[in-house]
Amino acid sequence: MFIYEKKLQFPVKIKNPNPALAKFIVSQYGGPDGELGASMRYLSQRYSMPYPELKGLLTDIGTEELGHLEMVAAILHQLTRKMTPEEIKAAGFDTYFVDHTAGVYPTFASGFPWSAATIEVKGDVIADLNEDLAAEQKARVTYDNILRLSDDPDVNQVIRFLREREVVHYQRFGEGLRLALDKMDQRNIYAVNPAFDR
Amino acid sequence: MNNNERDRAYRYGSLPDPAVLAAAYVPMQDSASPNYDTGEALARGTLFPGLDLPFMNIVNNELSSTPLNEMMAIDFVTDELELYLDTHKDDREAFAMYQTFLALKQEARERYVQRCGVISQSDMLGMDEYAWLNDPWPWDYRPRMEV
Repeated sequence: MFIYEKKLQFPVKIKNPNPALAKFIVSQYGGPDGELGASMRYLSQRYSMPYPELKGLLTDIGTEELGHLEMVAAILHQLTRKMTPEEIKAAGFDTYFVDHTAGVYPTFASGFPWSAATIEVKGDVIADLNEDLAAEQKARVTYDNILRLSDDPDVNQVIRFLREREVVHYQRFGEGLRLALDKMDQRNIYAVNPAFDR
Repeated sequence: MNNNERDRAYRYGSLPDPAVLAAAYVPMQDSASPNYDTGEALARGTLFPGLDLPFMNIVNNELSSTPLNEMMAIDFVTDELELYLDTHKDDREAFAMYQTFLALKQEARERYVQRCGVISQSDMLGMDEYAWLNDPWPWDYRPRMEV
């Protein structure tokens, strides 16, 4: 089970509200390569994994992603505090505001709601780990793009932390794939799916 | 160890020899050392210099040392070591470091709860009020984040 800890993994303290930034940072909450998808992907993939290293890795990284989801929410919550209708309109935040006020809702920056179609649980060791490696790269690029668009040092400090975690997770998933391949038939690693064929 | 060897020791990893075809390979990280100290690890988002690959080479300054940030830094190193150990369960040196950090984590937690507030509901054991509802909640903006 999960037990909540009343703290973030990394401090979020945004001095200046700025709904224009929230408009695109929301994509790392509920967008195609965001933290909600990341946590659901890993925590769902772990059930079919046959090897303890991969059960552990997917549990631990999936749990950390839930913490990142909370950090992104904290950024959004702080960027959208004390907004006036004029500021909302000037920032182009009106299209989000009309549906969600200053609530935090999992959506793409484009307004498309979070979709399980952005993740995959294939139930195959090699396919799922390759999906995870790609997912970390896509999240890393999204954070790169946020850093290109945002000039707020309080926001960027948190984004740099989250981006670096994607690099570390990529390394660990790569190592997890290596450990899995080592356990497979070296003459034909695709002979069976060890998550299904026992 | 000369500079080249030291550089190799953390910046590069090992690949299988031979490696089977039609598989993706990421080099194994060979060692959990060298590593950053706790404050620097939290600021940079990794314990390991070899994995520290920042966008445009811009890195965070170290965070101020508050009880909360100190606890976060120790918790972060513990988390980072857990991911490393998931794929390196036989690395005795890393496991010894993990043991050290588990002890530090417990101390830091107790210190924080005593001075600043509850982190998990079980921290309320022996308290005379239901402190769980007290501010601060982690997502709220606090101009002075001294705790």
